[in-house]
Amino acid sequence: MRATFFPPALVIFALLAGVAHAQVEVPPAPVMKPGTSQERVQADISTREIAIQSNFTGIEILIFGSIDFSDARMPTQGNYDVITVVRGPTAPIAIRRKTRVAGIWVNGPSETYPDSPSFYAVLSSRPVRAIASNETVNELGIGLSALNYGRGTPESSEEQSFESALIRLMEEKGLYTEDDSGVVFIGRSLFRATVALPTTVPTGRFLVDVYLFRDGELASKTKGSLEVSKAGIEAAIYNLAFQSPFLYGLVGIAIAVLAGLLGWFAFRRD
Amino acid sequence: MFQIYLPIAEISVNLMVMLSLGAAVGFLSGMFGVGGGFLLTPFLMLSGIPPAIAVATGANQIVGTSVSGTLAQWRRGNVDLHMGAILIAGGVAGALIGVLLLRYLRGVGQAGLIISLTYVLFLGTIGALMLWESVNAMRRQRAGKTVSARKSGQHNWIHGLPFKMRFPRSRLYISAIPPLVIGGLVGLLAAFLGVGGGFIMVPAMIYILRMPTNVVVGTSIFQIIFVTAVVTLLHATLNHTLDILLAFLLIIGGVIGGQFGVRAGQKLRGEQLRALLALMVLGVAVRILYDLVARPADLYSIIPTAGG
Repeated sequence: MRATFFPPALVIFALLAGVAHAQVEVPPAPVMKPGTSQERVQADISTREIAIQSNFTGIEILIFGSIDFSDARMPTQGNYDVITVVRGPTAPIAIRRKTRVAGIWVNGPSETYPDSPSFYAVLSSRPVRAIASNETVNELGIGLSALNYGRGTPESSEEQSFESALIRLMEEKGLYTEDDSGVVFIGRSLFRATVALPTTVPTGRFLVDVYLFRDGELASKTKGSLEVSKAGIEAAIYNLAFQSPFLYGLVGIAIAVLAGLLGWFAFRRD
Repeated sequence: MFQIYLPIAEISVNLMVMLSLGAAVGFLSGMFGVGGGFLLTPFLMLSGIPPAIAVATGANQIVGTSVSGTLAQWRRGNVDLHMGAILIAGGVAGALIGVLLLRYLRGVGQAGLIISLTYVLFLGTIGALMLWESVNAMRRQRAGKTVSARKSGQHNWIHGLPFKMRFPRSRLYISAIPPLVIGGLVGLLAAFLGVGGGFIMVPAMIYILRMPTNVVVGTSIFQIIFVTAVVTLLHATLNHTLDILLAFLLIIGGVIGGQFGVRAGQKLRGEQLRALLALMVLGVAVRILYDLVARPADLYSIIPTAGG
């Protein structure tokens, strides 16, 4: 566990440089009204680097932070909400549906979602739709229904059922989550959120966005990231398998032959 | 506590479950002279291992159990090297075709279906035939007649084929073509289904090649080593679907189970062995058929990319 704080200067910079700078990823122009809300949110992640080793059975990461009211005009007023979004690297995901042909279930039509997050978790202090308007959350890409998975909005009921299957299947694997009460406030300014990364968690860089809403409007935002990678013998095996597959195959056979010989010598009776 | 993360399959499995699975399959392998892959591969898939990884890793596990199984048979002089060499030559060619065929079918998205249908067809037919034959043999024996699976001196169409070779251990003088073709078909199945192919090799040796029953098991398990080794290498190289860690767990269980299997097999009579094996083969066929016919719990599924 290593705790490194987001440089506060960066957060301030992001806020001062303001809207134009943030627009690359998020267009909050209609949402954020500089001057009316100057609270700042600061947050960090309990674990920045996650190593998948042979004893890996999933891990819970803690996202914690605080709201800095120092510059707010009326710090005691307003309803504050925090939404945290954790996003894994994007990858194409294909969904297939089975159809019945001559009494046998065979693989039927499929749909590919070229730009889907391999992991996506939304945690909020209240239901996202109660915190901000649909327009706002869609713009910020908060929530499973706000994502387009590299495709446009579904046009037919057929496309709709494929997209809901994608979300449902990923939810079943624990790779997509929406938790309406995932962000817990401790007092007025401190909050924490726990995200469970399952065993099947993809490797790569995960982006963590923390949004602060005041009365339904985006007041502040901060971001961080964490890296999930294979380590130790797991990494060695994985790298060998993909970098020198022929050698890897030979190693597999050698281990098997050796184990077979040893087993026989250990158990033979004569 | 006993959970272990598999680097290629990318899931966490229970250590004891995988060791036991390896041991159970190894036991059957030693007992019947089959690779046991026709049980191992479906069981691995049921434990959540992606099918393609189950196939490649299953083949690797079979290499290990076959080595110790072969040594045990070798000591008893039950391996026909000449026949084995011919079967391996055919098997390697068949394995290459099988791996390429599997790649093509995965591209089209129908690999799972074709694999399942092939399993049902082969296991169902062979299981039924073996059961029929062994039950008949047992009934004849109960009636007091002597039984011989081998009808010596009886000539069939095989004796009309060219390229005749002498197989001293099997006391056969037959064409090299039938063992070459049988080896090729079994190699194809090995690559395609993640099986050793013993369940088809053993009956083919008995009923088509008419080899003596005592060398059938030893020779079958001997050639399985080489064919599954080639299959392992091809899958690792072309498909990146081999999980060494999983294979290692299965092998540890397998070599131990295999030794007990050989001893258990010696206590049973030939036709009882065949009847037991037939029932098991039929059981697996029914299980796979059920999965094809029963309405899936979820009609939708995520198509595995890269690894699976």
